[in-house]
Parts: sequence; C-alpha cells; structure tokens
Amino acid sequence: MKTNLCPCGSGNDFKDCCGPIIEGSAKSKTAEQLMRSRYSAHFMGNFDHVAATHAPEIKETYNVSSAKAQAQNTEWVGLEITEVIAGGPNDETGTVTFTARFKENGDLHAHRERAMFRREKGEWVYVDGKINPQIEPRKVEKIGRNDPCPCGSGKKYKKCCG
Amino acid sequence: MDRHFSCIACGKCCAGWLPLSINDALENANLFPLFLLWTPVRQGAKSFDLTAKIGFTLKLKNRKLAAVRLTPMSYIPPQINCPALSEDNLCSIHERKPLRCSTMPFSASRDENDQIDLLIPRPGWECDISDNAPLVYKDKKISNPDGFLSERKQLLTDSEILKPFAQLMLDSKPALKMELEKMAVRPHGGNVVVGFLPLIHRLANVDINQFAASQLAVLENLIGITKENPECADAHKNYVQAAGELRAII
Repeated sequence: MKTNLCPCGSGNDFKDCCGPIIEGSAKSKTAEQLMRSRYSAHFMGNFDHVAATHAPEIKETYNVSSAKAQAQNTEWVGLEITEVIAGGPNDETGTVTFTARFKENGDLHAHRERAMFRREKGEWVYVDGKINPQIEPRKVEKIGRNDPCPCGSGKKYKKCCG
Repeated sequence: MDRHFSCIACGKCCAGWLPLSINDALENANLFPLFLLWTPVRQGAKSFDLTAKIGFTLKLKNRKLAAVRLTPMSYIPPQINCPALSEDNLCSIHERKPLRCSTMPFSASRDENDQIDLLIPRPGWECDISDNAPLVYKDKKISNPDGFLSERKQLLTDSEILKPFAQLMLDSKPALKMELEKMAVRPHGGNVVVGFLPLIHRLANVDINQFAASQLAVLENLIGITKENPECADAHKNYVQAAGELRAII
C-alpha cells in the first residue's frame, strides 16, 4: 500500500523522504535532498521551511505572505531533477537543475531553474538560482572519413555509411 | 551657463508618470497607482553609463548594448493630475513627498553636468526662471546638491534590489525581453510598463494582502476616472489588468 508517497516524486514514503526534513527532525545530507524538501514544502504550502533554508544574504528577498497568496492559485504537479553537480555529503557547494511543473488557473506551466546550494554552518541552504538556464550544447564528435564506421561493419566510414 | 529657478507652486508639473523609490512607492500604496517602468537608453546617449550602473545592460541583435533602467512609478496619464495635488494647487503630502518630487527640477538619474535642459520649464509650466530667482546651477554644478545627492543615494540602494529582480524577470518572461529589445532599437526609444506585484514577491517585509487592498482601491478609482477618456485608453487597460491580478490575491 503506497498511500503516503512523497510529493517530490522519489517514490519513497513521505515520512522516509522529505517529511523529517520539513518538520526539522532531520537535516538534508545533500543539496538534492534539500531541493526536494523545498519542492515538497511548496506542494504542502509550508513556506516557513522554504524561508528557513535560504542563505542569510537572500532572506530579505523572500516574501512569505506573498508566497502564500500566490499558492492559492497554484497546484504543483511534479518535480523532475535533470542535473546534479556536487552537493554530496562531503561537498561544500552544489548545483541542482530541475523542472517543477504547476497548474495556475488551470493552465500547465513549467518552472526551470539551476539552483545553487551551499553549506552554512554545516547545513545546506539555497543561495540563488538561474531561471530557464541555457542548456550546454550537445557535443558532436566528428568521424574521420578513414575511421572505422560507427555502424560496426568494420569498413571505413567513407566506404560504408559516410 | 547659469540657471535661476524658483518653484511658484503652480502645480503644472504634478501630473503624469512619476518614478518612485521602492520606499516612496510602498509608503504611498494607498495613493498612487504603482507599476514598474522599464526604460532602455541607447549606447552613446549621455545617461548611458549611469543607467547601466543603476540598471543593467541588454545585448541587442545589432551587436550594440542598451542600458535599461527599471523603476517603480506612479502611473498616471499626463492628462490627469497627481492624486496628492490639492485644489489650491499645493501638495497635500508636502512634508513627506517622494524624493523624485523634492529633487525637482533636477534629476538624480542623470549626471550632475547633464541637467541644464531640465531647468527650462515645459510649455505651460509657470516656474520662475528670471534673474530674481535664486541661482541654482552654475558651471554644470548644482548649487545646493543635498536633494540631488539623497535621490542618487536612494537610486543606488534600490538598484541592489532591482538589478537581481530585473534579471529574474527577463529570464522568466521572454516576451518582456523581446519588448525591451524592440523599444531599444526604435529611433525615439520607448518604455515598457508592467504590473508592480512581481516586485512585492521579492520584498520580505511587505504584507501582500495589505498592499493589494490599498492598491485595489486606488486602481478602482482611476478605472472610473479614465473610463470615458479615449486619451487614457492605455492606462485604463493597464489599470483593469492590474486590478484583476490584485483581486486574485484578495
């Protein structure tokens, strides 16, 4: 019976996932865990957890009353983590790129962000984010005309698929 | 060249758009219709460097840069008087009037040596610029720069909040960026006016419900005033839209 799945989409039970982090009985070990718990907090309307996990220098730029007001018309649909750089148990900083989907007045929207995290007195905090970040262009490796063909035929590329 | 100037309180300049500091905007949320004004300044213009410092720069398709200033403003059509102007043409909030008003006729969003044309009254204004009026500007220096300097200081303080906010808006609203790029390449420039609410989300100590209630009353009043006036059609449309956004919160 999976009746209490965590909103962050991990597939785990809420009480084994974001629950303890939001309640404050456990600390996030990785930047990704904090990212997930902040999403779940949005999902549940717990903006105190969101505010409490901001880096000190950005506390002035987060308006809890306004986040609550916005939430009335917002329904969070799902979180997808697309890239995690560092942010592990032994790291001091980390970056989590994610897409959070939500419905606003019935319309589906996507919030894409590359979020920066850092350890503040040992605990992960959100520092800032780049909205709609540029995705690294895909690197294409060129095949030489005389190289073996990538189709695996054993022939030269120019004699085969090239 | 020397300029003399004295305000005779004719009230003629108290109409239309009024850029405000964040603080002046919030303190007068029950009086002014608050919007955000984006103004591109082309490369080579006198105020380009200062605008780039207070605001931000935008790369244009023609490989040039535009400096863009973002400021809160009281958004009132030029045909309509400032709501704080009383019937005797005096300012009803004189003691606590916005910095922008008390710095008049100077402007801190331009360099000190680039003020001279601001000291020529616009048509219809009754400012005293005769030799009997005090000397206010000499050798491109403001004689008593106190007001100018405090407005400049406020612009720089506000820019610490407005710059990252502007970046956030441009990243999340591609249509806004395109509109700014379009305005920046027009020969006579242009402005983009957007609602004030997104800035409230970034100000930790503002109660959004209180703000929305004050603003809604101001906007509903102006929607009534501008309804029948075709010259105010743009403003009217923006008021109606902003009022709708506020109602969604309340």
